[in-house]
Amino acid sequence: MTLNIKKALCILLAAMLTVTMAVTAFADDPYTSYNYNAWKEAVPSQNGYQVTDTITGADIGLDQLSDPDSEFFISEDEPATLSNAKDFFLSENEEWYIVDTDNNRIIKTDLEFNLLACYKTFTGSSMTTETTLEDGTVEVTETNTLKSPYGIYVDEDDIMYIADRDNQRVIKCNQDCEIITEYTRPDSELYDSVSFYCAKVLVDAAKNVYVICPAVNKGAIMYSASGTFLGYFGANKVEVTATVVINRMWRRIATESQSATLTKATPVEYANFDIDDQGFIYTVTEAANTTTDAVKKLNPAGENIIARTENGAEIVFGDQTSVTYSGTTYSTRLTDISIGDNGIVNILDYTSGRIFQYDREFNLLFIFGCDQEDQNGGFDNPNAIESYGDKIYILDGRNNDITVFSETLFGTYVHEAAEMYNEGLYEESLELWQEILKHDGNYNMAYVAIGKALLNQDEYEEAMKYFKAGYDDEDYDKAFEYYRKDLMRNNFTAAVIVIAVLIVLYIVVSMLQKRGKIPDHLWRRLFRLIGKGIKTLANKIAGLFTKNKKGGAVNGL
Amino acid sequence: MVYDMTPIQWLKYVIFHPIEGYEDMRWKKQGSMPITIVIVFLLLVAQVVKERMGGFAFNMAAYSDVFNIVPIITQSVIIYLAWVVANWSFCTLLDGEGNMRRIAIYSAYALVPYIVCTVISTIMTYALTLDESIWSSAIYYVGLIWTAIMIVTGMKACHQYSYTKTFVCIALTVVGMVLILCMFVLLLSLFQQVYVFFYTIYTEIMYRVRS
Repeated sequence: MTLNIKKALCILLAAMLTVTMAVTAFADDPYTSYNYNAWKEAVPSQNGYQVTDTITGADIGLDQLSDPDSEFFISEDEPATLSNAKDFFLSENEEWYIVDTDNNRIIKTDLEFNLLACYKTFTGSSMTTETTLEDGTVEVTETNTLKSPYGIYVDEDDIMYIADRDNQRVIKCNQDCEIITEYTRPDSELYDSVSFYCAKVLVDAAKNVYVICPAVNKGAIMYSASGTFLGYFGANKVEVTATVVINRMWRRIATESQSATLTKATPVEYANFDIDDQGFIYTVTEAANTTTDAVKKLNPAGENIIARTENGAEIVFGDQTSVTYSGTTYSTRLTDISIGDNGIVNILDYTSGRIFQYDREFNLLFIFGCDQEDQNGGFDNPNAIESYGDKIYILDGRNNDITVFSETLFGTYVHEAAEMYNEGLYEESLELWQEILKHDGNYNMAYVAIGKALLNQDEYEEAMKYFKAGYDDEDYDKAFEYYRKDLMRNNFTAAVIVIAVLIVLYIVVSMLQKRGKIPDHLWRRLFRLIGKGIKTLANKIAGLFTKNKKGGAVNGL
Repeated sequence: MVYDMTPIQWLKYVIFHPIEGYEDMRWKKQGSMPITIVIVFLLLVAQVVKERMGGFAFNMAAYSDVFNIVPIITQSVIIYLAWVVANWSFCTLLDGEGNMRRIAIYSAYALVPYIVCTVISTIMTYALTLDESIWSSAIYYVGLIWTAIMIVTGMKACHQYSYTKTFVCIALTVVGMVLILCMFVLLLSLFQQVYVFFYTIYTEIMYRVRS
């Protein structure tokens, strides 16, 4: 009998399992999306972005480079795939520039990734390369090729700035590959590094050139348009750890030679940067375990604006906690940043392959992407991120492809609502946020936004409810203050009457007491009476218990 | 002064006359153990109230889903017990006249202002905004200071010390509490290891038996 039940249960369970598995197999999203709640815990969320396309070298049409019949023909053995591409850039004129690092070339395509040009040789360099020929003689030629280019920036006049890493230079050239200016190792006492292995490059509106060298931790190296070294820009700060403090104390008492042996506290250099239309430069720092300066928004003076805003110092960018899995700790390593429309900030985490999207006030909007490189939307070496309209592009250096993410309907709602919210149009965005909550009840920002809208409409009690749900204590306090004011105003007469009655009652009672109309010990008697009542009640309850104990015996009889 | 008072009246008298009250209580050999137990329980309740209640803007953590009572028990009951044991250990060595029962009772009576003020200040936060938070914290600190004064006078009366000796004794007691709690943690982790040891043996045997 029991065996049959067990069998039936097993079959039932198996059936349930297959059903649920079938359901997950049909789900559209390759991974479950999550977001962080007010307690910085990960909670399930809706996908704001979905993978719509993956672009490989073949899709771009790189085989044309080795096809003699093609207009793009370069040589017979020109590789038809990307190889360890480190960076790509979407210019103002909506053309892609992909830095194909290991193939030493720049590939230019249109917005739909159709090949437009491939740049390999550049003329007009002042640098020379020595090559040893087969017979042993050394030939000195002009450096006309790239050697592991790492970064690129293209300004609105289609002038390219390429960080030519192993040639230790940044070149500024036009579309005909004629070098206009070369930026090399600054010949200055301020620059104390021997090498100039530049990785990323950026140009501001005044055509000043900013270069990141991973070996230089004083900030970005800044050049004027003509190529003169101007100084450093926006260095990170030293993170205060116990070692730093102890070393500082030692240095006070140590002799000069002793203190020379102590490790110097140096800031971590930042990994990448981007510039928005207002000229603010955003930087990301890749080093693991950085708590300060992970993401910075620099004004032209090189000061971090995020740290100065309210709660700005408390924002933890990327994942809130690091994960330890079989002996290895995985923590966020922010490798690239891209500023989209309306100042939306996208940052790319190298470790987890995730993209964290923030609005311009640095409220977390979405987290998407993963590190399962075998599936769509998963990355192995995510090297660069770019955004255009409602799309996000990720360049993977190991898979050698570009993944295209497109906004979902939910994503559109959130972006629209967040933009209105940041403009202060709380009431106008109310309906959108309500729609968002229908899609995702975990979306914390929606509760706060609806609460603010209700607060503007003077519906304090409802607003308090929403602020409570969104765990926003300061706005709750504001709503509560108005609510209390309202309550007092509406019930003022009633409160005054109650207080007056109480006072009169007290006076009457005390007068009667003085005249001896009320016995002195009335209160004491009353208390005693209540006490007696409690005692008898307790006795009865105790009696019930003892009766129950005996009750078993009674039943047995 | 008429001394035929009920235990509750004694408690009230001691709270409002910290110096005289404790001396009288010692002289008349008053102080009730059941009331002490109730007070210590109320201390636990007050700590729970402080942790889990309050206006939303004041204590947002109270509205989270996570609640762990173990730290709260440690903060109230365990600390009280450690105080009593440590105080008794030092003061018997330092010619104190109090016995353990008396120390327990006198210390517990001193806790009443803290308990009352904590609860009142927590309830007040429901009607206050953050700008007015000074009122609730003022009430809380009044309770705290009152309790501190009562602890000093209580210990002084209990052991028949001078003020200097009382302060020295209290400082030593705090050190003793730290020591006791350290030993306690050490003991716990030791037992944990012993448990793990026996559990490993058990699993090992079970594997052998099964295979």
